[in-house]
Amino acid sequence: MNEDKLEQARKIISSYDGPKLRIMEVCGTHTHEIFRLGIRKLLPENVDLISGPGCPVCVTPVGFIDEAVMLALDHDATICTFGDLVRVPGTEMSLAGARSKGGKIQVVYSPLDAVEYAKEHPEEQVVFLAVGFETTTPASCLAVKRAKEAGLENFSLLTANKTMPEAYLALKGSADAFLYPGHVHAIIGTQLCEDMAEKEGVSGVIAGFTGRELLTALAVVISRAQEGRPFFENCYPRVVTKEGSPAGVKLVNSIMEPCDTEWRGLGVIPQSGMQLREEYADFDARKKFRLPPVEGRSNPACRCGEVLQGKCKPSDCGVFGKVCTPEHPVGACMVSGEGACSAYYLYGGSES
Amino acid sequence: MCVGLSAKVIKITDGTALVDASGAKRNISVELLEDLEPGDYVMVHAGTAIAKITDEDIPETERIMEALG
Amino acid sequence: MTDFVTLAHGAGGKQTAELIDRVFKSHFANPNFTGDDAAVLPAPQGKIAMTTDGFIVSPRFFPGGNIGKLAICGTVNDLTCMGAKPLYMTSAFVIEEGFPMDELEEIVAAMEKTAAEVGVQIVAGDTKVAGKGQVDGVFINTTGVGQIMEGIRTSGTLAKPGDVIITTGDVGRHGCTILLARDEYGIEADVKSDCAPLWNAIHAAFEAVPEIHTVRDATRGGVGTVLYEIAEQSNVGIRLDAPRIPVEPEVRGVCGMLGLEPLYLACEGTMVMIVPEEKAEKVLEVLHSQKYTENAAVIGTITEEQRGRVVMTTEIGSETLLPQPGNELLPRIC
Repeated sequence: MNEDKLEQARKIISSYDGPKLRIMEVCGTHTHEIFRLGIRKLLPENVDLISGPGCPVCVTPVGFIDEAVMLALDHDATICTFGDLVRVPGTEMSLAGARSKGGKIQVVYSPLDAVEYAKEHPEEQVVFLAVGFETTTPASCLAVKRAKEAGLENFSLLTANKTMPEAYLALKGSADAFLYPGHVHAIIGTQLCEDMAEKEGVSGVIAGFTGRELLTALAVVISRAQEGRPFFENCYPRVVTKEGSPAGVKLVNSIMEPCDTEWRGLGVIPQSGMQLREEYADFDARKKFRLPPVEGRSNPACRCGEVLQGKCKPSDCGVFGKVCTPEHPVGACMVSGEGACSAYYLYGGSES
Repeated sequence: MCVGLSAKVIKITDGTALVDASGAKRNISVELLEDLEPGDYVMVHAGTAIAKITDEDIPETERIMEALG
Repeated sequence: MTDFVTLAHGAGGKQTAELIDRVFKSHFANPNFTGDDAAVLPAPQGKIAMTTDGFIVSPRFFPGGNIGKLAICGTVNDLTCMGAKPLYMTSAFVIEEGFPMDELEEIVAAMEKTAAEVGVQIVAGDTKVAGKGQVDGVFINTTGVGQIMEGIRTSGTLAKPGDVIITTGDVGRHGCTILLARDEYGIEADVKSDCAPLWNAIHAAFEAVPEIHTVRDATRGGVGTVLYEIAEQSNVGIRLDAPRIPVEPEVRGVCGMLGLEPLYLACEGTMVMIVPEEKAEKVLEVLHSQKYTENAAVIGTITEEQRGRVVMTTEIGSETLLPQPGNELLPRIC
């Protein structure tokens, strides 16, 4: 019976022969799992799966890496970061480059580990690189909360946190339906997606991450798209509830506030970032170290921005697979294992 | 974004829980969740439990497909 | 004798002799290990295989082994892959000043025990002591010579379409153990390194099936890297059946938390074997009867198409490419 339902989902997907359907996933882990499971192979020709700006590493601007490098080399700060950011190219160098020049770069699993590290190393100034969307931001806020409670003076965040709602609107015309990121909506709930369908006419489903969940979500998109009306469906109810995590949202709003922010490749999207509130200025690395405004320069040949908007495929970019490879990434989409270009490259994108 | 892993709660002390994901154990923060008990499953992201969940993906996908007819 | 290794232990005088007598000679004693400048050995018949390897693992003691055991296994297994019976080994130590003597003893004792398991003799050695901070604890180099079994010819170039791919055990356990032992990510799991000398098991397989095409030690870079190497060397394609790849649940759990692929974690007692299809059953039967290879499993086949690539059949019955090897293993979180 289980297999029957999976088979049913698969049939709905493979037998679709309607007009061209563009589905955009806006979650790096979706991109990754879709490749890992070979889901693209199951799609008919008239279904396009576009990898949107869902990987926080990919949308983090070059200037952010430059700031982190500056903190590591000029201010002798210990940089605590998720592993994903270590190899992202900055204007001059990546954090791996800064490490080889003597910068202290510590890979952590959680922002809370960075706080523990700061407690154990009172002689070091520890800066955590706070990237991520709604899913990850609560963990960074918890870190600030704990550091404040512990009276730590050697811990701060370099923030580049982003929020999805404005990005959805900015990408409205790029796809016929979204595969909404399951874990973002585990925090913010489903209301936004319902509004997108009702008020903006934008369709989408919240999808989980297992093979079964992804196939089910795609089957729902394909079936519902044929009804011709904007739709929304939560296909990940075991994790995502209507109200999401009020505690998480409350925590974030008590420590951070919205700000304008630059998305690599998309430009500045108003009110789509999060920064520390004035009360937490002591934990804001930019203020603490009086960092000058930084404008990073990315490689002009790189088309990451268009890739993120689904305007071109990684393989359409002139540097893809030639100058830009996972060993020597030019653009951010090649750096993170979740980046659209990296996933295309590693999983043999030519067939996609 | 957001590698998430489903894990089982083993024990809880002051907003921190020891969780187990097929034998890999770690302490994580459960400050964002209420009414959590040992034996519950949570979705873990970057050292934080972001949601209380059911571990199995079969029932939910079955229901969705049934509704689709 | 002192409790710590000092620079005097490396100076060539009385203390050096003491160190060699007490630590090395007492564990490595055999008629071919003499005080002369080089070991004088009977030349074996037929062809010999020779290999060398450096070991710098950190931490040097880990669940399932230590750097000494690893230094024997690494070289024994390299010889084994060529169908060569390990005969003689040399070992050179570079030790950091201040290294605890009891740790050194424990490392050397592990070498003795592991060498004895496969009957290889350690016939020459060298000890250098480097100043504090010049090396990290202890580095070991081992070189080995083995006699190739008659009628055996294996190489990464010999894989043929239709051949079956076997792993001699579950994958990724050593890499996972080391990752956990470094305690950088606060994760705990009951995982032990698979570090083991495989000569006896693989020897038995060769005895039963001399036609084995390829045997390769899946150390650094893991099974995934080895498969890409073989695909390239033999100019064939590789098709893996993902659900059949043996991975311990704990290793899967750790990889899940950190976003890593078990196929790219190092093994130190697991090999990849490529065997003609009609012989696969026999090879498996022999491996299952031997120590260290009880969990050997067929994980895929060699194909004519997709040359140079490793394709995986996925758990939902579709297919995908195994990502190409490369790069430092960094945990993926966001």
